[in-house]
Amino acid sequence: MTPQLEEQEKLLEEAMTNVRFQAHQMKMSLDKQKLMDGLKHASSMLSELRTSLLSPKSYYELYMTITDELRYLESYLLEEFRKEQKDRKIPDLYEIVQYAGNIVPRLYLLITVGLVHIQTNSSSKKDLMKDLVEMCRGVQHPLRGLFLRNYLLQCMRNVLPDTPDDPNAAETPEGTVRDSIDFVLMNFAEMNKLWVRMQHQGHSRERERREQEREELKILVGTNLVRLSQLDSVSLDLYKKLVLPGILEQVVSCRDAIAQEYLMECIIQVFPDELHLATLSAFLKSCSELQAGVNVKNVIISLMNRLATFTQKNPSPETAQLFDIFSDQIASIIQCRHEMLVEDMVSLEVSLLDLALKCYPDRIDYVDKVMESTVAIFEKLSLDRIEYYSATSRELTRLMKIPIDEYNDVLRVLELEHYIRLLVCFDYQGRSAIASALVNSALENGTLISTPEQVDAILSMISPMVTDQEDQPSADPDPEDFAEEQGQLGRFIHHLKSENPDQQYLILSAARKHFGRGGPKRIKHTLPSIVFQAYQLAFTYSAIRELDPNWEKKCIKIFQFCHQTITALVKAEYYELPLRLFLQGALAINNIDFNGYENVAYEFFSQAFSLYEEDISESKAQLVALTLIIGVFERLSCFSAENAEPICTQCALAASKLLKKPDQARAVAVSAHLFWSGKTNDGKEMLNGPKVVECLKKVARIVSHCMDLSVQVQLYTELLNSYIYFYEKGNDAITVDLLNDLIGKIRSELPNLENSDETDQIISHFNNSLEHLRNRVECPESEGISYKGLNLNFFGLK
Amino acid sequence: MSFFGFGQSADIDIVLDGTENRQRVGVKTEDGKKEGYLVYYDGESVSGKVNITLKKPGYKLEHQGIKIEFSGQIELYYDRGNHYEFTSLTKELARPGELTQNTSYPFEFLNVEKPFESYTGSNVRLRYLLRVTIVRRISDTVKELDLVVHTLSSYPDMNNSIKMEVGIEDCLHIEFEYNKCKYHLKDVIVGKIYFLLVRIKLKHMEIAIIKKETTGTGANMFTESDTIAKYEIMDGAPVRGESIPIRVFLAGYELTPTMKDINKKFSVKYYLNLVLMDEEDRRYFKQQEITLWRKGEKAHSQATNHQPSHLVSKEGGPKGSEPMQRVPEPSDPPVEEMKREVNSPPLSSPPEIFPDE
Repeated sequence: MTPQLEEQEKLLEEAMTNVRFQAHQMKMSLDKQKLMDGLKHASSMLSELRTSLLSPKSYYELYMTITDELRYLESYLLEEFRKEQKDRKIPDLYEIVQYAGNIVPRLYLLITVGLVHIQTNSSSKKDLMKDLVEMCRGVQHPLRGLFLRNYLLQCMRNVLPDTPDDPNAAETPEGTVRDSIDFVLMNFAEMNKLWVRMQHQGHSRERERREQEREELKILVGTNLVRLSQLDSVSLDLYKKLVLPGILEQVVSCRDAIAQEYLMECIIQVFPDELHLATLSAFLKSCSELQAGVNVKNVIISLMNRLATFTQKNPSPETAQLFDIFSDQIASIIQCRHEMLVEDMVSLEVSLLDLALKCYPDRIDYVDKVMESTVAIFEKLSLDRIEYYSATSRELTRLMKIPIDEYNDVLRVLELEHYIRLLVCFDYQGRSAIASALVNSALENGTLISTPEQVDAILSMISPMVTDQEDQPSADPDPEDFAEEQGQLGRFIHHLKSENPDQQYLILSAARKHFGRGGPKRIKHTLPSIVFQAYQLAFTYSAIRELDPNWEKKCIKIFQFCHQTITALVKAEYYELPLRLFLQGALAINNIDFNGYENVAYEFFSQAFSLYEEDISESKAQLVALTLIIGVFERLSCFSAENAEPICTQCALAASKLLKKPDQARAVAVSAHLFWSGKTNDGKEMLNGPKVVECLKKVARIVSHCMDLSVQVQLYTELLNSYIYFYEKGNDAITVDLLNDLIGKIRSELPNLENSDETDQIISHFNNSLEHLRNRVECPESEGISYKGLNLNFFGLK
Repeated sequence: MSFFGFGQSADIDIVLDGTENRQRVGVKTEDGKKEGYLVYYDGESVSGKVNITLKKPGYKLEHQGIKIEFSGQIELYYDRGNHYEFTSLTKELARPGELTQNTSYPFEFLNVEKPFESYTGSNVRLRYLLRVTIVRRISDTVKELDLVVHTLSSYPDMNNSIKMEVGIEDCLHIEFEYNKCKYHLKDVIVGKIYFLLVRIKLKHMEIAIIKKETTGTGANMFTESDTIAKYEIMDGAPVRGESIPIRVFLAGYELTPTMKDINKKFSVKYYLNLVLMDEEDRRYFKQQEITLWRKGEKAHSQATNHQPSHLVSKEGGPKGSEPMQRVPEPSDPPVEEMKREVNSPPLSSPPEIFPDE
């Protein structure tokens, strides 16, 4: 415990001891019907409240104890003065207590007696109320005055007149609610002045402590407003003309930020929303007149949130104007409060937007108006680059994300005319964040962007994802993050979709225009999606060929479009990707038999092939590419024999030209398939058995040149499988002897292999192949080929 | 009165008429005791009976005559023995002769002029008395009876409020207003203090009622000040623009009407002293004389019949809530300098909470 606290406890305990003693004496005197003695003791007890030594907390404790004891006096007096035939009249007593020489005890007694006066005879209630609230002016010490007036307010709370004010009725001494309003308003004003005055007393270095103390006492001031709110007869009219102007006048004129912020919040909290609705302009106007230090934003936001909730539950004609009023007042507050932080201004707009969306979900124009006002704020302040890590950017991001999250529909966001104007106020990171939010929203909600105009608009909005920005950071982004972002964009392209194929073509063209400017790093993620979308569109036209006489021309156009698009990738020095896209294109064309499709397919295929030949140099990639090319060709059926044969030969040739022997062996083995199942446009497979065997023999030759024994055995085993495959397919150029030779060769080499995992694998591969053969030998299929003469004797190799 | 224990002697008793209906007041005698005296007003007759009771029945009492005097006199304490009689009336009750039995003599002073109010102060006393004397050869037998005289006034024709701006340059400017300049003894002082400039840290403000009793003349003039009441009217430090209400009930204090140059022997004047005290216990004050007067009893009896007249709001005087208008008129009093006590003692013990009942 600090010394100050100890000192406080000691002082308080001393005071309490005297209070207890005097209270006891007071009760004894009253019990003996000695009123004057009782009053003297009460006065002595109350004199403890004259102290200047106690902290607000201790003073409060003392006050509570003393006023509690005073209730004994009050109930004694009530009982006494309610009796008929009283010796003393209560007005006399009202005079007598005023002889107390010290003002603090005197006024506490006066209030107590005044209350009894009112309760026993309400005929001068109105005058007594005025008198008491007026006399309390004598205590100008903030702490003592605040508590004194709190006592006054507490005492009067149950006797405040609460009958409707009738201007035509004669004045009554009991008073009407109007008198209660005057009473509380005056008490409020005086208490507030005292409270504010605390700020300016004492040394400036104790400011923090003073503010802490004021914080502890604020509820005393606020209670006045609670009282006002509890008067049932306060009509809307009275609130509008008397109560609110009275409060606001005091709040504004006190020029104290702490008081203003607290009291404005108080008004919002204690009075019902109906009243706020009816007096919105007046309240907001006062907000603009508050001190520079007041966080007006919080006040207004608090009110907006309340009214938004209220309006949501109770829509009515009166609430129709809500948005306009707030919008206008916020604009004027922002205009006249020069010291207001930009982020606070934006934060106000955020709340306004919230209100608009909550209360008027259909009024997209309101949302746009908020955007417009926010743009105006930035324009006025000449802010054109809001830094991402600033508070303003944080608020602005909130503002911009609300429509995205509320509508769950980026198309509605696109309807906001001023959204993009606001977007460009952000710096690169800010724009990126919104872009990403827009894309995510579309992905999550499955939103389809179905006109070229919308595509243009949205792609402009998300341009930080789509193209390089002037203000983007010079350092490259994290590759993983970048890939993820671009991946999302790739997914997003599939949401650029119209039911109408012609429209879809325009959409894809528009999209390519944007994405095509994305630079080499982006296009590899984005253009493939466009190409696939385009292939898809070609299928669509193919499906409606009966309905659209121009479908063939359109398909050609689409494939031209794809060609261009893929070529763009090639220009960006990508090869494997365009190769695959060309091959995919060839497959697509193959399936749509439009007029002249063979030439187009040939073009695509040859583009792929020349990419292979000219641009793919790494041997592994070459093998993969070649395998793909062969695989694709094998599935094509659009070429005439005239075109098909050179391709086959070229492929086989390419295969045999690969650098590494194992690659050669495998590629040539694959190319063997071209001569077997490769098709021409008459739909027939080639089934050229001798050519196949020629290829396989070539493989065997290549394998025999392999130096690595285990690779060699592996390749032989693979070759065996190829032979078996073609043998079983009915290639009669393959004989059982050929198989026996090969098996014998493998068997003879196997023991020379070193023990290793690799060897185990090869053995197992080989054994599996033999197992297959044995099955065939032992259970020949009825119409299958015969393995008669196959030598499977030397089984059982480990 | 009997010296040596022989000879006849007698007790004298003065019985006044109509005592049961006459008001009595307590007056502090010189030794501090309180006695109840009957109250008479100017022009009232004083009548009654003088009863003489012989102490030794059967013996006669010789006398040179019996008389009764009505006397009004001023006693100055520094000049004991010299009484200045301003009124003296004598009635003979019996010619010289003998008394053989208890005898009762009626008397009446018709419509007696009683020009001054009875007064007991620190240095002077003004008293009225009846004195019965049995004149005897050796020593007279004397009996005195004090009466109290109240002088009543009618409502003053002119009773302006007292309004004044006072201050200390660049330090403190206040404007005070008392609703009247003349108050009757059961009256209420209503007023307010309006703070025009506050540059000192005030702690509190009080109003004191000061009685100044002046005796003697010329070089022998002597004034005794006495604080009758101290009444705190403000706690804490006000700021510019505050107005503090004043309401002081006079009935509870021991006050007399203002007396001016009574028989050229003494005066009693009353002042309201407005005292402001700052945090360093310096006192700033301004005294303002007020005239006290005694209101007729009829009106007095109504004083307890409380209308809300004691509430500020119903009083004709200033209202605390109205900011005081500063209208520059020719009659507007100039700003007067306030006095500041140098080395003023700290406030003496707080005033008694309630005056004696």
